[in-house]
Amino acid sequence: MSEGKEGLPAGDTAREAREIDAVLRLATVPGLPEGAAARLMARIAEEPQDNKIIALPSRSTPRRGFWRMAAALPLAASLALGVYLGAQGTLDFMLPAAITGDVALNEEAPDDLGGVGEADAYAEENLS
Amino acid sequence: MTDAGLLEAAAAGSHAAFAEIVSRHFQPVYRLVWRMTGGAAEAEDISQDAFVKLWKNPQQLRDGAALKGWLMRVASNAAIDRGRRPRAATLEEAPEIGDPQARPDAPLDRAEAARLVDARIAALPDRQRQALALVYFEGLTNIEAASVMEVSVDALESLLSRARRSLKESLSAEWRELIGGLAETGW
Repeated sequence: MSEGKEGLPAGDTAREAREIDAVLRLATVPGLPEGAAARLMARIAEEPQDNKIIALPSRSTPRRGFWRMAAALPLAASLALGVYLGAQGTLDFMLPAAITGDVALNEEAPDDLGGVGEADAYAEENLS
Repeated sequence: MTDAGLLEAAAAGSHAAFAEIVSRHFQPVYRLVWRMTGGAAEAEDISQDAFVKLWKNPQQLRDGAALKGWLMRVASNAAIDRGRRPRAATLEEAPEIGDPQARPDAPLDRAEAARLVDARIAALPDRQRQALALVYFEGLTNIEAASVMEVSVDALESLLSRARRSLKESLSAEWRELIGGLAETGW
């Protein structure tokens, strides 16, 4: 036999559910008290609605003048000039060698930096 | 008109649109709160508060289609926040709609059985009672109820399962009598 909830046989569970449904149908079904809706509407008539949306006056925006752009133009030109000179290397003599010098190479560095070539030395037959 | 349309009109200040929202959703919200508070007298106030909150600021609900779920969440959470444990007296005083099909000569006293079941439901933990009320009494799907409760569907099903088990255990002494009475009325 198949089992339902809580380990009871499915038939017993269904019967129990039917019994509980039937018992619950015995419960009182309350009706609205006489005049309840009218009392509610009378209360509503006295209650003002909250006005949550507050219209604020628009803030006047200042005019964008020419001088705002006048400050930005030399800054942009300076940046562009710096990028150009840096790319050309024209001013490298003014910079420290650590920045402008050649890349230092380690001549003695092994070719096999990852150590893959030594893997044979760790093979099982060599460990015993 | 859809709930979203009504909400939009209500947001523009239309009392008629809001009255239609009340007409559609006040009853189920009240039923839920009544169940959550165990039939307490303040169920109407708590339900009203949810609608007033909506009226004061309809923009807080961005998806108009989720209106009913939103109202149920706000109202039932408010009911939980009140932290009022149900009292037997409130259940006895509660208005109720009688079952027109109940047989007066049935061996089980229907009103007594209803009070008994109401009291046992009211004694359940808040979240279990909320899950039970949303799914069984308001007919929400598990997905909808989980959304109202802001839990996963698995968590909702777990709450429902525990609620059913707790309910059956708390009614164990009367279970056979309840079921027997129901069987005779042809459930």
